[in-house]
Amino acid sequence: MAIQGSPLAQVLAYQIPRNSLALLMVAQLVVLAPLVIHVSPWIVGVYLVCGLWRWQVYVGRWNYPVGAVKSLLVIAAVVGLFFSGFQSYSLEAGTSLLVLAFALKLLEMKKYRDAYLVIYLSYFLIAIAFLFDQSLLLTCYAMFSLIVVTAAMVGMNQRQAKVRPAASLRLAAILIGQAIPLTLVLFLLFPRAAPLWSIPLPSAATTGISDRLTPGDIANLIQSDDIAFRVMFEGNVPPQRELYWRGLVYSQFADGTWTMNKNAKPQVSLGRQGRGTAYDVFLEPTQSKWLFTLDTPVEYGRRQQLLSDFRLVNADPVLSVLRYRIVSDATKILDPSIDDALRASETVLPAKDNPRLRAYATEIYERSGRNASLMANVLLTEIRKSPFHYTLKPPQLSPINSIDEFWFDQQKGFCTHYAGAFVFALRAVGIPARVVGGYQGGEINPVTGHFVVRQFDAHAWAEVWLEGSGWTRYDPTNAVAPARVERGLRAALSNSDRTSLSFLTVARLDDQSLFGSTLKFIDSLEHLWNLSVVGYDVAAQADLLTKLLGRVTPVRVGLALFVGGGISVLLVVGVLFFRRRHAARNAAEQVFQNFCAQLARQGYDRAIHETPAEYISRLGTIAQINPKPLILQLHAHLYDPEFESNRKALSELRKEFRKLRFKLAFSTTVQAS
Amino acid sequence: MTQNSSQTRTFSSSTTTPDSVSASKVHVRQHVEGLIEHLNGVLLGKEQQIKLALACLFAGGHLLIEDLPGMGKTLLSHALAKVLGLSYNRIQFTSDVLPSDVMGATIFDKSSGQFRFVEGPLFAQVVLADEINRATPKSQSALLEAMEERQVTSDGVSRKLPSPFFVIATQNPSTQAGTFALPESQLDRFLMRIALGYPEPAAERELLKHGDRRALIDRISAVIGLNALTQIQRAVNNVGVSDLLVDYVQRLTAFTRQSSAFAFGLSPRGGLALVQSAKAWALIHDRGHVVPEDVQAILPAVVQHRLRGAADFSGQGGAALAQKLLANVDVVA
Repeated sequence: MAIQGSPLAQVLAYQIPRNSLALLMVAQLVVLAPLVIHVSPWIVGVYLVCGLWRWQVYVGRWNYPVGAVKSLLVIAAVVGLFFSGFQSYSLEAGTSLLVLAFALKLLEMKKYRDAYLVIYLSYFLIAIAFLFDQSLLLTCYAMFSLIVVTAAMVGMNQRQAKVRPAASLRLAAILIGQAIPLTLVLFLLFPRAAPLWSIPLPSAATTGISDRLTPGDIANLIQSDDIAFRVMFEGNVPPQRELYWRGLVYSQFADGTWTMNKNAKPQVSLGRQGRGTAYDVFLEPTQSKWLFTLDTPVEYGRRQQLLSDFRLVNADPVLSVLRYRIVSDATKILDPSIDDALRASETVLPAKDNPRLRAYATEIYERSGRNASLMANVLLTEIRKSPFHYTLKPPQLSPINSIDEFWFDQQKGFCTHYAGAFVFALRAVGIPARVVGGYQGGEINPVTGHFVVRQFDAHAWAEVWLEGSGWTRYDPTNAVAPARVERGLRAALSNSDRTSLSFLTVARLDDQSLFGSTLKFIDSLEHLWNLSVVGYDVAAQADLLTKLLGRVTPVRVGLALFVGGGISVLLVVGVLFFRRRHAARNAAEQVFQNFCAQLARQGYDRAIHETPAEYISRLGTIAQINPKPLILQLHAHLYDPEFESNRKALSELRKEFRKLRFKLAFSTTVQAS
Repeated sequence: MTQNSSQTRTFSSSTTTPDSVSASKVHVRQHVEGLIEHLNGVLLGKEQQIKLALACLFAGGHLLIEDLPGMGKTLLSHALAKVLGLSYNRIQFTSDVLPSDVMGATIFDKSSGQFRFVEGPLFAQVVLADEINRATPKSQSALLEAMEERQVTSDGVSRKLPSPFFVIATQNPSTQAGTFALPESQLDRFLMRIALGYPEPAAERELLKHGDRRALIDRISAVIGLNALTQIQRAVNNVGVSDLLVDYVQRLTAFTRQSSAFAFGLSPRGGLALVQSAKAWALIHDRGHVVPEDVQAILPAVVQHRLRGAADFSGQGGAALAQKLLANVDVVA
C-alpha cells in the first residue's frame, strides 16, 4: 500500500505540499458552490465523500484508493449520471459530468501536475457558472472565486517553510486587480464571433407565464417576487392603468384550460404613424420566445417578429437577459376587418360544457340587442354588481363546468377566472374574444428611473373584437377590483391574502419600509449591470466601435485592440514603476540618483553597500581625477542639514558629475583601444 | 549669516557659526587629537579601537571591551579613565563579589553612635568593571542598575552617582570557563562592545622589546578635564544628521526586523545608539555632520551585542551579522 516501485525521494519531490493542498481544497469548494443548484444533489454528496477521503489522506489516517477502486468509482458515477434524469446533451448533464470528474480528481491529487490540472479546471468551472446566470451577484462571486483559485496557485509556488494563506490571497487579489484594465479593453473591443459550437440550453424551469392558462396559474405566480423584466421609457411614462404588458394570446379553450394558438402566422409590420411610446425592455430569461410589449408594437428589432395575433416573438428562446427596443402605438386599430376563418377560430368553444353560463350569455345578448360592445359592458356591470370577490386564494373548481361553478356558485376568483369567464360568455354567443396573458403595472425605481415588472404583476385580461374598433381590451378584473389596475397588486390584496405571501414579496410591495428601499437600491444596481454589461451585445459593440473608429474594418479593430491593450498594460506597469521608485528627499539626491542610473548604464553600478563617497572615489580612481572636492560637495548636499542648497550649487554639482562621466567614458575608450 | 557668507562657504564644514563657537570647535579638535595621540602611545597599533572607545564615551555611553585575557583590555580601560582626567575606581569582579561590595553599605559608626553609609567603588566618574562576566548575576545587576538609573539605592535611600558616569567593563568571551553570560537586556545598556584583537606584528615587536606597558599607566596624566569633556559631549550633540542619513539608519533597523537571518530586530534604543555613536565618530573625524561612512564604521561595535542570528543560540555570530547588515542595506535608496 505504501509507495510502490519508485524511490521515495523522487515521489516526494513532486508531491503537493501539505500547506497548499488545504488552500486548493478551499478553492474547489468556492468554485463549486454556485453550481450546486444546477447539478444533482447526489453529486454534491460524492464531492463531500471524496473531500473527506482526501482530508483523511492529508492528515495521514487513510491511503489513496487503489486503481481498481478508482475505476469502479468512475463507472459508478457515469452510470449514476445516466439515471439522474437529465436530458442527454443538456447543459446540466455536461456540468454534472464535469463536477463529478472534478470531485473524483480529489482522490488522485498527489502531484504538482494534478494540482495544476485542478486549478485550470477551477478557472473553467468559474466560467461555466456564467452559462446559468449572469447576474451582478454571481459576477462578484466569480471575482472572489478567481482570487481564491489564483491564491491556491500562488500557494503552490511559495516556499514551503513560510506558507501564509493571507499573503497568498492578497497577492492573488493584486494580480487579479492588475488584470482588470486589460479585461475591460478585451470586453469592450474584442470581436464577438459566433460560437463555434452551440452550447446546450439550461433546461431548468423558470417562473413565469406559461402557454397554458388554468384558473389557478397566475395566483401561484403572485407568490414569486422574481423580476420578469425591467423597462426604460424614453419619454413620458404612461399611467399605471395603461401598462398592460401583452405577451401571450390564448385562443383555445378545453377542459377548463386556455391554450395558445400555436400556428399564428407572421404579420407584416404595422408601420409607424403617430409618435408612439418608445422604451427598452430588459427581459429576464424565460426559456421561451415570447416578448412583452405595450399595445401595439409598431417598431421592433430585426430579430423580432409580429404574429397575426399581434404578439411579438423573438427568433430564439430568451436564455439570458435580452434587451429589445420597442415603439408602441396604442391608437392602432387591430384587425379592422375579420375574415371567417379568424372569426371561427376566435369563437370556438367545446361542444357542450358550462351550460348555465351559455344560457345566461344568450339571455344577456338578447337583452343588449345583439350588440357586442353593449353585451361586454353588461357583463362588466354584472361583475361589478354581483357579490363577486377578488382573492388570491379561490376555492378549488372541478375541471368540468369550472366556469359555471365560478360564475354562479363560488363568485370568488382571480384575474384568470374573470377573464376566462368573460371571454367564454362572449364566445358562447359568437362574438370573437380571447384571453390575453402578460403583466400589468410595475413599479418605478426612483434610483435609476426604470420600471420593474415582477412575477407578481402577472395578469390576464380579455380582448373582444368589435366592429369598427377591432380588437379591444376589456379587463374584467378592473370591474371587481379596480384598485388592482389603478394602484397595483398591493392595494387589491386583502389582509388574509397578504399573510399568504412570502416575506420578500411583502417587503417589495411596501414602498415605505427601509428594507423595501434597500431592495430598490439593489434592484437599480442590477439594472445598471444589465444595461452596461449583460446588455453589451454584438450590436452595442458595433455601435461603440463605429463611434470610436468611424469605420469598422478588421485592421482598425485590431489596431484599437492593440492600442487599448497596450495602454491598459502600460497603466499597470506605470503604477508599479512609480510606486517602486523611491521619492528623493531633495534635488541633490535626485541629481545623484540620476548620475548613478546613467553610470550604471555605462557599466559602473554602485554596489548597494557603497556609500556615495566610496563610489565617487572608486570612479575617481578609474577616471584618474582627485575625487575629494566632489565628495565634499556631494556630502554637503546630501548629509549636511545646515547646508542651504541653491540652484547655483546644484548646477555646479551637476557639472562636476558630467565632467566625471565624460572622463569615465573617455577612460573606457582608452582602455578598450 | 549674510547672503555673501553663505555663498563663499566651503563645503567641508559649516562656517556660519559665530566666532566663539568656532573657537570652541578648535579646542574640541585639539582635545580629541591629544586624547588619541596619548592613547596611541599606550596601546600600540589599536587606533581604530581607541577611536571607537572614545566615540562611545563622547556619546555618553558605557563601553564593554570583550576579548581573551592578556589582550590589553584592562590597559585600555585604565588609560581611558586616566586621560579623561576623571575620578575612577576599579572593581575586579569574581564570583564571590556581593552587591554591597560594589554599591557600598551602611555600617554602624561607633564614634558617632549612628549608622553611616560607606560609598562603594561605584561612586566614581569612571568605573572600571574588570571581568564583569565573572560576577554572579546578582552583583552584575547591581552594577547594571546603576548604569541605567545613574543612582544607587541602598536601605531605601537613593543616592545619586557622580556625573558624568561611565562604566568601562571588560569581559572574557562567554566560552571561557567560569563566566556568567550577560543577558540581552543588560548587554543592551552598553552603547558599544569592542574587541581588541591580536596586535599587529610591528606593534607586538615594539611591545616585546620594551616590556610590559602597564608601568606606563602610572605615568599617564590627564589630557583633558571635566570641562573639556562636557564641551566635547555638547559638540557631539550639535553634529548634524540629515534626513537622508536617518533614512539609511531606518533602512538598517528595518532590515534587522524583516530579514529572516535575525532572531530579533534592533530596538529603537539600538537605532538611537547608532545615530549617537555616528555623531561622535563624525566629531572625532572633524566633521560637522554625519555621513554614511560614520554609520558603517561604528555599526559593528554598536549592533554586534544587540543582534543574534536566527540559527545562532549562543549569540557569538554578531560580527558576521553586522557584515550581512551592511552588505544588504542600500546606502542611498
